[in-house]
Amino acid sequence: MKMLKRKSLLLMVVVLLVSLVSACSGNNNGGKSNAGNTGASATPTPTVEATADTAEPVEITWWNFPNFTALDGEVGKFEKQIIAAFNEKHPEITVNLEMLTFDGGPEKLNVAIATKTAPDVIYDAPGRIIDWAKKDLLASIDDMFTNEVKADITPAIIEQSSVDGMMYMFPFNTGPFTMAVNKTLFEEIGALDLLPLDSEDRTWTVAEFEAALKAVKEKAPDVIPVGFYAKSQAGDQGTRGFLTNLAGSTFLNDTNDSIALNNEGGVAALEWIMKASKDGLLAPGAASMAASDHNDLFLQGKMAFAINYSAVLKTQFAPNKASDFEDILLPYPTVDGSAPKLEPFLGGLAIFNNEDAAKVEASKKFIDFIVNDPEWSVTALKQTGGLSARNSITGIYEGSEYAYSELARKFITTPPTIADGYAEIRTYWFPALQKVLLNTSSAADALAEFETLGNEAIAKGKAARTSN
Amino acid sequence: MSTAALKSKSRRKFKREWLTSYLFLLPALSFFIMFVAYPMVHGVYISFFDYNLTNFKFIGFDNYVTLFKDKNFHQSVINTVVLVLVAVPIVIGFSVFAAMTIYKKHELLRSLFRGIFYLPAVTSVVSVTVVWNWIYHPNFGILNYLTGLVGMKPIFWLGDPNTALMAITAILITTSVGQPIILYVAALGNIPISYIEAAQLDRASSRQIFTKIIWPMLMPTNLYVIVITTINTFQCFSLIQLLTSGGPIYKTSTVMYSVYEQAFSFGNFGLASAMGVFLAIIIGIISIIQFKFLGSDVEY
Repeated sequence: MKMLKRKSLLLMVVVLLVSLVSACSGNNNGGKSNAGNTGASATPTPTVEATADTAEPVEITWWNFPNFTALDGEVGKFEKQIIAAFNEKHPEITVNLEMLTFDGGPEKLNVAIATKTAPDVIYDAPGRIIDWAKKDLLASIDDMFTNEVKADITPAIIEQSSVDGMMYMFPFNTGPFTMAVNKTLFEEIGALDLLPLDSEDRTWTVAEFEAALKAVKEKAPDVIPVGFYAKSQAGDQGTRGFLTNLAGSTFLNDTNDSIALNNEGGVAALEWIMKASKDGLLAPGAASMAASDHNDLFLQGKMAFAINYSAVLKTQFAPNKASDFEDILLPYPTVDGSAPKLEPFLGGLAIFNNEDAAKVEASKKFIDFIVNDPEWSVTALKQTGGLSARNSITGIYEGSEYAYSELARKFITTPPTIADGYAEIRTYWFPALQKVLLNTSSAADALAEFETLGNEAIAKGKAARTSN
Repeated sequence: MSTAALKSKSRRKFKREWLTSYLFLLPALSFFIMFVAYPMVHGVYISFFDYNLTNFKFIGFDNYVTLFKDKNFHQSVINTVVLVLVAVPIVIGFSVFAAMTIYKKHELLRSLFRGIFYLPAVTSVVSVTVVWNWIYHPNFGILNYLTGLVGMKPIFWLGDPNTALMAITAILITTSVGQPIILYVAALGNIPISYIEAAQLDRASSRQIFTKIIWPMLMPTNLYVIVITTINTFQCFSLIQLLTSGGPIYKTSTVMYSVYEQAFSFGNFGLASAMGVFLAIIIGIISIIQFKFLGSDVEY
């Protein structure tokens, strides 16, 4: 009896231990990333010639932000359709999809990279992708670009997709970031003539913009004239684009190695923001407003101008509009009404170097299918709502706003996202704006401090690249 | 049977029982070592490294030097201390007051109040935050609507550096009183009524009864509640993350939020670990002090 008891006890403990060990040892996708490697140089990226036999079954992981508009309201449904279509041509490649959110996705990626569980394929913006490339975390996809393809992409986009002339991101969808105005509201208050809709390129001056804001304040007192936000770094291209055009300046200098906005124009632009806030022309509580709150106010018809819009966002926001007002794209105003400088929205695909030649090769095939398949590349592009990153692919949309978006491509400038240390620079931008909006610092002091911190971040970024 | 044989038998029995006990403990102990002890030790270890997405280099105490020089981290420490100093006494005071008020009530009423106060504690933090976000909303919030009724201008509760931390503290208090009230009600119920009746016969006032009988007998509960509430307040993170992201101008950033921001937003795992170690040491010291001064060996 005692013996039986002891045996039962032993058996129970063994079962518990086995279950414990198996629970802890499972669930490893085997994705070995070189992220976090130290000292040793990363395995060279395989070239097309040095690829594994892709007839062998390969499993890759694709992490995707909501770049495609949700099909039938279901996030990830369109992505699954792409994978199914891809598998008709490449049944040997299994693609595991994981959807990210814009809020938590960046953090999830940081953790995945640090714990060597990065995905194989990522569809994201160059701000993060190029930062990873500079840290040797990505596989080069230079062999995917013929001279013909490169010639079909504007230099500004090539620059955002490459590091030291080597391509790391396949640019796919683009479009200039602009403002947007609730045209219906201006029709209702009889102030449509205050908007620059007569000229083809819609350029306008700060004085004209102010007149439009004052008309809203006077004739539609319940509506916020223009939005602004500084809660976090999300959507910072909007505040950056708005202010640099007000300032008649650029964010960084021509060589992207120092902050250029700390000048007379930059100070004047921030002082304009302070005054507009005081005069009730700017969204109240902008210091604690997030980009998403700002979008919501515009989509609910409670704000006349949004400062962060594009053809892509117009498509993505369409289901969220509370009423059927007409949202029109406008360039940022400039002091003298000259051509604005618009940062491009850019989305593209990249491959993490997980030290597996077969996975890298399979990932290239998958990216090639999305961006170059005669049928699916156009379908996918339309689902993003963006213009093609290729100059030769035009006219796939109808409507005046897409036509304007195509036209506004001539205003596109190289964004600061390609600068060394950009990921850190942007963490200093919104606190600087908060200080100005909350009157805890003068515009000049806030900009001077931002310049100091920003330049330090660039220097640090450059040093890190040199040591890699 | 000889004494030696008896001793040997008892030693064998002791060994068997010892082994059996530890075999039963082993599964839980394994989990504890893997998911609590090891990460703690590893956290201390990586705090001495420049550990980011691409580096893992030993740098000694540099991370600690960096955080002691970092103005934003100083602000986070100040905010955390303010949160603790304001929230903990209010939580304790209100919990004791509420418990004293409801513990003599009819059982149905007692259960009702306990349920009401405990509701925020069992509700998802995200849901609670969504509701409070709406309450505090500068344009559509019910709080500004109510203050507007008496002619006050709208206040940016979470956007104004002067009100943001207090607005967070108010939410923290509402979500922290549930468990202490339950514990105090139970503790008050355990105080023998005869002590209080005897004191009343001796003409003791209500204040004397509270200070000389009830309060000392609540000391074990007090100790637990104060230590746990202090630790939870020091670790305040979700509210900050969901409502203010540490803003405006770092006025609501806490040490815990700084740890998260450095690790997951900026990828500075070494620096974040140093912050975590710093926080653990501070909490440890405060807990030891609380145990020393609030520990009670009073016996009745």
